[in-house]
Amino acid sequence: MDVDVKKLAGDLSKIVGKEQVFTDKPTSVVYAKDTMPWDVEEKNIPYAVVRPASSREVSGLLRYANERLIPVHTHGSGTSLVGLARPKTNCIVLDTARMKDIRVYPERGYFEAGPGVHLAQLRKELEKHNALLPVFPGSELVATIGGTIAVNTSAHGVDAALGKPGDFILGFELVLPTGEIITTGTESTRRPAGIDPTKFFIGSEGLLGVITLVRMRLIPLPYFQHIMASYRTTEDILDTVMKMYKQRIFPPLFFEYLDEMAAKIGYEAVGLEEPEGAVAMMRMHSWSRVGCEDQAEGFLEFLKTCNPIEARIVKDPEEWNKIWGSRAEAGNYMYRLGMTFGSEITPRVDKLRDAFREAKAFILNLDSYQGNEFISFGHIGAPTIHAYAFVRTKDISNEVRKAITMEMREKSEELNIRYGGCGGEWGLTAQRVSFLKKKYEKEVYEVLVKMKHALDPKDILNRGNLQGWI
Amino acid sequence: MDLAREKIIDTLLKEAGKCRACRFCVDACSLYQATEGVESMAPYGRIQIIKYLLNGTLHEDDPIVYSLYSCLQCGRCDRVCQTKGQNLEASYLIRLGKYLLSRGLVKGGKDEKI
Repeated sequence: MDVDVKKLAGDLSKIVGKEQVFTDKPTSVVYAKDTMPWDVEEKNIPYAVVRPASSREVSGLLRYANERLIPVHTHGSGTSLVGLARPKTNCIVLDTARMKDIRVYPERGYFEAGPGVHLAQLRKELEKHNALLPVFPGSELVATIGGTIAVNTSAHGVDAALGKPGDFILGFELVLPTGEIITTGTESTRRPAGIDPTKFFIGSEGLLGVITLVRMRLIPLPYFQHIMASYRTTEDILDTVMKMYKQRIFPPLFFEYLDEMAAKIGYEAVGLEEPEGAVAMMRMHSWSRVGCEDQAEGFLEFLKTCNPIEARIVKDPEEWNKIWGSRAEAGNYMYRLGMTFGSEITPRVDKLRDAFREAKAFILNLDSYQGNEFISFGHIGAPTIHAYAFVRTKDISNEVRKAITMEMREKSEELNIRYGGCGGEWGLTAQRVSFLKKKYEKEVYEVLVKMKHALDPKDILNRGNLQGWI
Repeated sequence: MDLAREKIIDTLLKEAGKCRACRFCVDACSLYQATEGVESMAPYGRIQIIKYLLNGTLHEDDPIVYSLYSCLQCGRCDRVCQTKGQNLEASYLIRLGKYLLSRGLVKGGKDEKI
């Protein structure tokens, strides 16, 4: 596609102002890069990065893009782990960073936020009002609320304990791909019954519109209690999760695990004594202090029936910060030591142990790379297994990196299909269109394509993500 | 290639290659804040620009200077990367990148890789 970048810059400047249009290649490359472990290629590099500040400016941009048939790729903070954030074609990047207003309305029972607000900042603001942000990704320092709702990611949160972020959305202001500005939902804390267009856009991964305002219910900040449990093997933790669901024990808000290797690395990183085996950590929540303590005691009693080496409530905040920190540090240190290639496996809970065993087997026998190690951690109470191929070097070519990523993707998809899951954290399009086609009837993918075409007939927004791109 | 330049380029290639593009560092940067979140004006962006300059995707005559030279060398991004990221001395790497540019050690030109 031939685009006169100078003219493009002039036209875009009329919509958002000259200061908010970048057509220099360095800026374009920076916005095109994401966490996918290979370099940006010429086909990914945007013509321009544009930074609108309002729905009206987003509308103007999308109308222009439709007239000129130039794809537009929406950018929050680019933290997707499965390639959603990398443009698939040369395009205009629509950066949401300037739409970052936060308005808290305690008397109305909700808050509103622009899509570009970083989660950590939003959490801090809500805590001033004694309210909880029900979103818990590891990237919360920089991940945006717009991106989070666009993916509807549970991240650390156990769905069965609190639901997904989308469950708390009351409505949106958003711009359709063809430029119309619409509002959805309600200003009441009572969510609409029946057909509510809000739901079409939750988790739509930016394919159906650009969210310009999120309205979300205020959730009272609960009390928390923390539990840690160490086990001889990871399999013991898997058994605990299976038993928890089977016995209908109320699940913790967070239920994370580190396998034997991850626990060793994570604990060392935060200065804790090396554990004997694998480690699990839980956060209980309740709306009263007594209720929370009672819930933690009850869960501890349950854990003690699950063959741990040790299980205890952690009262000391400093100790808990170290234990919880070991979870994040395990991932960081692995990446510092080499490279990790991840998977997201969310099996039917009674098949957790089978899925884990098979994940370990395929990762230790990759066709695309020999000599890698296996490591796993994740939100096991959800249940999510993040099983990783760990390579102790960064000195591998882009081609090999792609090959490992593809093999990990394909084989973890097979496990999700065999064991009844479909992920719950990282999104379903971009890398995973092939999964949708394999897992469900062909009509399912066709419905998505028809929905996309109905709202975006010229395929302007996030082109390539619904086509499958690598 | 003189030894000092060779050493700087080796260091930059190795270290900038470690950046995982997590972007955890961006909010710590005053220039990122001052520009309302322009990623090429953040430590993450500067590191990527150095990397893509060294691998030939970007060139000396691309408008790189404004980004690299906007770094105030406050070191706040180093703290974030050391605690939450890949343990890079981001501000030092940016300083080395600026050094290459200032001394004309990036030969650049559309067809010439370093």
